[in-house]
Formats: sequence, C-alpha cells, structure tokens
Amino acid sequence: MLKLIKYEFRKTMFSKLVLLFITVLSEIAYLIGVFFKIDRMLQVGIFGLCMCAMVGIFYIGIESLLVFHRDLNTKQSYMLFLTPQSSYQILGAKVIENGVSIFLTGIFYLVLAAADFSIGVLYIGGVKEFLDLADRILSSINININIHIPELFAGLCVTLAAWLLMVVTGYFAIVLSATVFAGKKYSGFVSFILYLVINWICGMVLDRLPLRGDTLTSLYLTTCSVLVLVALMYAVSGWIMEKKLSV
Amino acid sequence: MLECRDITKTYGRKTAVDHVSFKIEPGKVYAMLGPNGSGKTTLMKMAVGLVKPNAGGFFYNGNPVGKESRREIAYMSTEPYFYNWMTIKDVEKYYADFFEDFSTEEFERLMRRMELTSDMKTKALSSGMMAKLKIAVTMARDAKVYLLDEPLNGIDLLARDEIITSIVEAIRPDVALVVSSHLVDELERVVDTAIFMKESHLVAMCGVEELRITEGKSVVDKYREIYGHGGEETC
Repeated sequence: MLKLIKYEFRKTMFSKLVLLFITVLSEIAYLIGVFFKIDRMLQVGIFGLCMCAMVGIFYIGIESLLVFHRDLNTKQSYMLFLTPQSSYQILGAKVIENGVSIFLTGIFYLVLAAADFSIGVLYIGGVKEFLDLADRILSSINININIHIPELFAGLCVTLAAWLLMVVTGYFAIVLSATVFAGKKYSGFVSFILYLVINWICGMVLDRLPLRGDTLTSLYLTTCSVLVLVALMYAVSGWIMEKKLSV
Repeated sequence: MLECRDITKTYGRKTAVDHVSFKIEPGKVYAMLGPNGSGKTTLMKMAVGLVKPNAGGFFYNGNPVGKESRREIAYMSTEPYFYNWMTIKDVEKYYADFFEDFSTEEFERLMRRMELTSDMKTKALSSGMMAKLKIAVTMARDAKVYLLDEPLNGIDLLARDEIITSIVEAIRPDVALVVSSHLVDELERVVDTAIFMKESHLVAMCGVEELRITEGKSVVDKYREIYGHGGEETC
C-alpha cells in the first residue's frame, strides 16, 4: 500500500510544485516589503501567502477527487487495476495520501505564518514590541489551553471526521457514476450531482440523530456518527470497485 | 490453468460476450481471432478483472480472477495506458515496484533490442514505439499467462518481427500465451491453437496442427471460411 501512496503523491506533485512556486514568490515579495519597508510589496506578499494557504489546501482536496475521476474514467485506470492490489487498498491509499498532503500543507503554512509574523514584528515593530506581543500571545494561549483543550481536541476530531466524510463521499459519488456511466463524457457532472445528493442525505441522517448531552459529548457523538458514515461509504465504494466496476 | 466459464458481458443493450467457455492450458500459444467488435478485447479484460462479467467468470487455478491472479497474469492492453508524466524509466520503476516477477535486466535487454531509451517521455512516443514499450514491459514479467491484445497493431514490419521474437522467447512448458490480432498469417507460424470469436460468440477453437491434418486447412483458410461466409464451425 505504501507504493500506492507513493504514486498518489507523484500524481499530484506538479500542482504542489506550482503552489510552492507561487508561495515562494509571495514570500519573496513579503520579505522585500519587510526588509525595505515597501507597503505595496508587503500587501502583495501577505495577500499571496493567504491565498496560497486557503486556495492551496482547498485545491489539494479537490484535486484528489479529480485524479480519482481520471483514474476510473480513462485508460490510465489500468495502471492501478492491473496491479496485484485490492480496490480497498487503492481507495485507502488515495484517502491517506490526501489526508497527509492536506495535513502537511497546513503545517507548512502555519510554520511559515509563524516565521513571517516573527520576522515582521522584529523588523517593523522592534524587538521590545515583539517580545510584548509574544508575551501576550503566550499568556492568551495558556488561558485558552487551560479552559478549552478538551473541546479543542473534540473540535479537531469533528474536523478530521468531516474532512474524511467529504473526501469519501466524493470517492463514493465518482465510483457510482463510473460504474453506471463508464467513460461517458457527462460522468463528471453526474458525479458532482451525486456528491451533492449524498452529502444532503448524510446531512439529513446526522441532523436526525439524537445527539444529546453537553457540548463535548455532542462533539464526540457527532465524530462517531460521521466516522460510521465514512466506514460505510468506504466499504460500499470498495465493494463496488471490486465486484461491479469495469474500467 | 485459466478457465472461462459460461461468461457473458453486456453494455446496455449490446452483448459484447455471450455465454463463452474455454480453457487455456500451459505450454501453448493461443491466437484469439475475430473482426472488430467480436468480443476479443472484452474477454481479455475480463480475464484480468478490468471488466466485470454479468454472468459466469474467469477462474485461475480454480479461483476467481482478482488481486492474486494478477500476480501471475500479465496483460498488454491495445490502448496506451501509462501516466502522462512518465518516462520509460518511470514505467520500469512502476512495474518493478508492483510486480515481483518483473525483471529489470530483461526489460533493459528488450529496450535495447527495440531501440528505446529510458529518458523518453511516454506521451511523446509514436504508436510504434508505444507498442514496443507495452510489449517490453509485459514480456519482462516472468508471468504464467500472457494476454496480448493486438500487439502487432499499427507497427511496421521490422517492429512486428521483434515483437513476434519476444513472444516466441516467452514460450515455456509452464507458460500460456494468448495473442489477439487481425494479422492472422503472421500469427499462424507461432500459435498452437486458434480461438475464433464472432459476434460475441466463440465459434471455434482449433488446434493449428490438427486443423492441417484433419481438414487440410491453415488458420488463414479457416478464418476466411468462418468470417467470409458467415458459418459457425467447430473443431
């Protein structure tokens, strides 16, 4: 399965390099703005970096679905389905690759933002202002950590589960569309419509669940419910690919 | 070894393969013959699990084909299927990563013979070069069954000779080869058995030698007889 994951990374490498290239350009603009105190460059840099972080992460999620659609609806599907790997492994590799890519991209932009923020404060505001600010930030984090850490963790779990549901729903819609409308030109559009319908059904199911209790309990129950839906869709998608899908 | 049991595949209202059964035995080379749309490609794709049948199935050593059988069955599709970003070197690495029976040395030997170089981009290859690459990457596997779908399509005479040579080199007592082609006369010199497909049915499966002895006909004669006059023959 590791080899499958490796090639999933390779398939999306070009767009990640483009994203990195734009990020580097924006970073250069930001640093020029900071070091030479040019407001225009600073604005361009900050705008570029924010857009790269937001659009980049969103696109990585979408690209995973686009690649899967291509993998099922073109002859390139043979590269996957001729290998001695099960459909569950093929699907699992895609989910893992996408999760790891989004996670690493998120971490990368967080670290970059922290570094840029520090540099900005150091060079524009001066060391004293920076230390004061850092002090304020640290004490604010301490307070938040003391009060909200369980809810923060539960919130992260819900976010992760929701992301998984979004991706697996996309895969499920693409598998259904590819099985019924194999290779047809409009199969992409059908996948999108199916994706909306399945999402709506999932939303209905989750809304009707009796999730009682305090915020924390409710968050964990939501996470579990979402994960059950994820497991169900993953299993059904894998079964359809294994037994019914012709590529 | 590889058995096709009463297999049927339909696409909407069109039946691509209709209740076909046959067995592939080791140590033999089979020619799968028939005009376009007769069901040859669909049959081959079902043998490796790319296409799922509506009824019946393919069985390898008694088990339904799937993940495990793909370790020992090498299939060469008639269409190009490599990723656009790949060079020939990438294709080699990909096959080496996924197939335990893939021999890098054998692949490089075939590449030299077919005058391909590893830095070539697959999307820039001509149809003849692509055919050579597909055959090289398939025959570099030490598989038990080779399924070659139209390996001689769209390539010049010299390249055809190289491909026929590669096929002949793979013949071993424990290996079966199935080759589909329209170029019946070129295949006749290397095959043991001919499978004739017509309008989604298997109409005849004849031993080439047996055909010569009992009917005094070549495979080409038989081909003309079946497809020229519309008759259904059995051997």
